[in-house]
Amino acid sequence: MTLKTNLKNILAIVFATLILSACSTAKKTGDLDGDVYTGKETVEYLAAGVPDRVFFATNKSSLTTASRATLRKQATFLRKNKNLNVTIEGHADERGTREYNLALGERRANAARDYLMTYGISGKRISVISYGKEKPINAESSPIAWSQNRRSVTVKVN
Amino acid sequence: MKKTIYIFLINFLFFTNLNALIEVDITRGNLDPLPIAVSPLHVDIKSENFKDLKVKDLGAEIAKIIEKNFRNTGLFNPLKKEAFVQKPDIAHLKPRFEDWRLIKAQALVTGKLLVKDEKLKVEFRLWDLTAAQEMTALAFTTTPSNWRRVAHIISDKIYERLTGEEGYFDTRIIYVAESGPKSQRVKKLAIMDQDGFNTKYLTLGNELVLTPRFNPTNQMVTYMSYFRNMPRVYLLDIETGTQEVVGNFPGMTFAPRFSPDGKKIIMSFAKDGNSDIFTMDLETRVVERITEHSSIDTSPSFSPDGKFIAFNSDRSGLQQIYVMRSDGSNVKRVTFGKGIYGTPVWSPRGDLIAFTKMHKGRFYIGVMRTDGSGERLLTENYYQEAPSWSPNGRVLVFYRETKAGNKGEGFSAKLWSIDITGYNERRLSTKTDASDPSWSSLLSK
Amino acid sequence: MIRSLIYSITFHSLMIILTVLSLPFMLREPVDLPPIVSVELIQISDKTNIPFAPKARKIIEETKKKEDERVVSEQAPPAAKAKEKPDRIPLPNEKKEEKEIVKKKQNPEEIKPQIRQSSEFEKKEIIDTNQIAALIDKAKEIEAVKKMDDNKITQSTQKNSFATGLTLSEEDALRAQIFGCWSIPLGLPYDQDLLVRIKLQLKKDGTIMKSEILDHERMNKPGQKFYKVLAESALRAVRLCQPLKVPPTGYDKWKELQLNFNPTEMLKG
Repeated sequence: MTLKTNLKNILAIVFATLILSACSTAKKTGDLDGDVYTGKETVEYLAAGVPDRVFFATNKSSLTTASRATLRKQATFLRKNKNLNVTIEGHADERGTREYNLALGERRANAARDYLMTYGISGKRISVISYGKEKPINAESSPIAWSQNRRSVTVKVN
Repeated sequence: MKKTIYIFLINFLFFTNLNALIEVDITRGNLDPLPIAVSPLHVDIKSENFKDLKVKDLGAEIAKIIEKNFRNTGLFNPLKKEAFVQKPDIAHLKPRFEDWRLIKAQALVTGKLLVKDEKLKVEFRLWDLTAAQEMTALAFTTTPSNWRRVAHIISDKIYERLTGEEGYFDTRIIYVAESGPKSQRVKKLAIMDQDGFNTKYLTLGNELVLTPRFNPTNQMVTYMSYFRNMPRVYLLDIETGTQEVVGNFPGMTFAPRFSPDGKKIIMSFAKDGNSDIFTMDLETRVVERITEHSSIDTSPSFSPDGKFIAFNSDRSGLQQIYVMRSDGSNVKRVTFGKGIYGTPVWSPRGDLIAFTKMHKGRFYIGVMRTDGSGERLLTENYYQEAPSWSPNGRVLVFYRETKAGNKGEGFSAKLWSIDITGYNERRLSTKTDASDPSWSSLLSK
Repeated sequence: MIRSLIYSITFHSLMIILTVLSLPFMLREPVDLPPIVSVELIQISDKTNIPFAPKARKIIEETKKKEDERVVSEQAPPAAKAKEKPDRIPLPNEKKEEKEIVKKKQNPEEIKPQIRQSSEFEKKEIIDTNQIAALIDKAKEIEAVKKMDDNKITQSTQKNSFATGLTLSEEDALRAQIFGCWSIPLGLPYDQDLLVRIKLQLKKDGTIMKSEILDHERMNKPGQKFYKVLAESALRAVRLCQPLKVPPTGYDKWKELQLNFNPTEMLKG
C-alpha cells in the first residue's frame, strides 16, 4: 500500500514537472494556460476557498496541476462534511460532435471522481453525469467561452 | 498543314469501306435540371365537400407540392404555370405535345381528382413530350385528409420513372425541436413531413432529449433522454406514445440506432469514464458487448446488410472512424485524413459512409467508401454534424449551428440537406430551431 | 574550357534556331482553331434546355401568352409550326459559314426562327458564357477521344473521325448539336458504366426516319432502370435536335448513323 502511494507520489511529481515545463513554453494569454481556463469567472464555491469546478484542455480529460489542487480542496471539504453527497457534472465545449461530447463529459467527470477517491472519498458519495455540450456556462462562441465550458462541476446533492 | 490533312483524308476515304456504319460518341450533354411542367390536377365537378378541405383548390395545391418537391431535388426545373398552354382536363386526356414542347418542357405531369363519399380519388399521368407518349400513369384512392401524402407519392412515382432510383418524398423527418436561450435550451422530439409540413411534438420539453432515430418501419423511435436526470436510451412507439428505457444499464447510455432488421438497438454505454458499444435485442432483452477498449467508442451505425458496424473511437488519440464486423471482431480504422472524424452513418445503398469531419476549426459533412477511400467533403461550415441519409441514398440531412455572440446572441440551429454530389444545399423549413435529424424510410412501399 | 564553350554556343544557337523554326507552327495553330470553335458556337445557339434567365423567361412567357391566345382563337396550328422546323436551319449555307470565321457572329441572327425571335437575350447569354467553355471543351474532347482510344471504353474509336466518312468538323458539328440537346439525367450513378447506342435512319435534310436503341431489350430488364432512363434521355435528345446537322453531301454515307451516348465523364466531372 505504501509502495503504491509512494509510486503514485513519484508519478505525480514527475507529471507535475512535465506539466510545469510544458507550461513554461505554453503561451499564457489572459485566463488561459494553453487552452485550459485558469480564471475565476463562472467559478462557484462549495465553501469558502473550495472552488466547485475544474477545467480541461480541448478533447482531453487529464487533470492539470491547478485542477488537482482544486480537487484536493474539495476532498478536504468532503471529508469534513461526511453526510454530504455530490454529483460531478462533466461538460464539453460546442466544438465537437454531440455523441462524442457526451462520452467526453463522462470521462471528465470520472477523472475528477477518481481523483477525489484517491483522496479517500468513497465512490458511493459521488455520482457522475455527463451533459456533453448541452449545458454551456458561457454561451458565446469564443475560445475563452469554450475553455470555460470544458469543465467538470461538483454539485452538492443533499 | 491543311494539305496533308486532306491527303490523309482522301487516303482514308479511299481505303475505308463506305458501307461501314458511322458512329459518333456523345460523351457530353447539358447538366441543367430537366424542364418539367406540372399541370394543376383537374378537379372533377362531381366532387363533394369534405370537412374544411377546399376541394376546389386541391388540384392546384397537389401540383404545387409536386413542383416544390421537384425543385428541391435540383434535378428538375418545374416550369412556371403562367406559361402553360392547355387546360388541365384537356391536357390530362391527351396533351398537345407540340404546344408543351414550345415552352421547353420535356416532361409533363397531368392528373385529375374526385372527392366523393369521403374518398379522394386521384389519378396522374407522366408524359414524355419529345416522344409524345405516356411514360407512366397511376390512380389512388384514400381519405381526403391524406391529400398531401398523395402529392408526395405521385412525386415519388414520377421521380422514380425519370431518374431510375426510388424517390424520397413520402417520408418524414424526426428531429429535436429547440427553443430558448442557448445555455438553457428546451428540447422536444418533433416529427414532420419531409417538406416541413405536419409538425407534431412527441415530448413536452420537460427533460433534455437528444438523437432520435427511426426504426426501419418508421413506427418506433429510439432516442436519448435525461428523464429524472438519468441519461438513458429510450424507445418510443409513435402510434401509441408509449415509452420505455432500453435495458437496465448502471450508467449513461447514448448514441442509439436500430439494426437494419429493427430487432436490436446498438448504442454506447459509459461506465467509469469509458464508453463502449453494446447491442440489446428488443425481443429477448439480451445485452451484448460489442467493443471493449479503454477509449471512447461511440456513434455506432450498422451497414444495411447488418454484417458490419461503423463507429467512432479515439483509441488512436483523437476521434477517428472505424469499421468492424457486427460481432466486434476485425476492427479497422478507416479514416486517416487530416483532422478528426465523427458520426459515421452507413448509406442505405451500403456503398458509402457519411461522416462529420473537424479540421482547423471548421466542420465538414462528407462521404467516403466504406474502406475510407474516396473521401468527398460536401459542405463546410462553422458548425454542422450528424448526417442522416434519405432512403434512396442520394441526399443527406444534417444540422448546422451558427456562431453565437455574447451570451449566446445570434445562435441558431437549423436543418440542412445536400446531395451526395455536393450540389443543391438547402435549408429545411422547421417551425422552430432544430437539430439531430433522422430521415425515415419511404412510408408507402 | 574552350571545348565546353563551343558546346555551349552550339547548343544555345541550336535552341534558338529550333525556337525560331517552331514558332511559326505555334502561330499557325490558333489560326486553324477558330473555325472549329465557330462550329461549336453555332450549335450551342440551338441548345434547347436552358435554364432561362429570369428576363428571358419573361419574354418567353409573353410570347407564350400571345401564342396561347392564338391557339385559343385559331385552334391549334401545330402543323404550321412543324413545317417551320426544316426551314429553320438553312443547311447548305451554314456549312459555308462554319468555315468562315468572321461570319460566326451573324449566325445566331440568321438562324433565328420566328418562334424563338423573342428569346434573343437568352441566346446571347449562351454564346457569351460558352465562348470560353467551347474553347476549353474542345481541348477536353480531343483528350477524351484519345483517352477512349487508350482505354477502349467505347467500341468503335477507329471508326470515328476520318474513317467514318464524316470529316472532323462535320462530326464535331453533329456532336456539338447533340450535346446541346441532351439533358443528362442528373440522378444517374456516376460509377456505373452506362452506354446507350442508338441507330438512326436519316432523311437527307437530317430529320429522323427511324430511331432504334440497339440494346433495347435491356431497357425493360429488372435492375436496369438507370439504363432505361439514360436511353430515354438519349432518344429525347435526338428528337429535340431534329433536323440533325448532317453534311450537305455524302448522304449514302450517313443515312444510317449510330450515336453512342456515354454520360460517365460528365457525371464524374
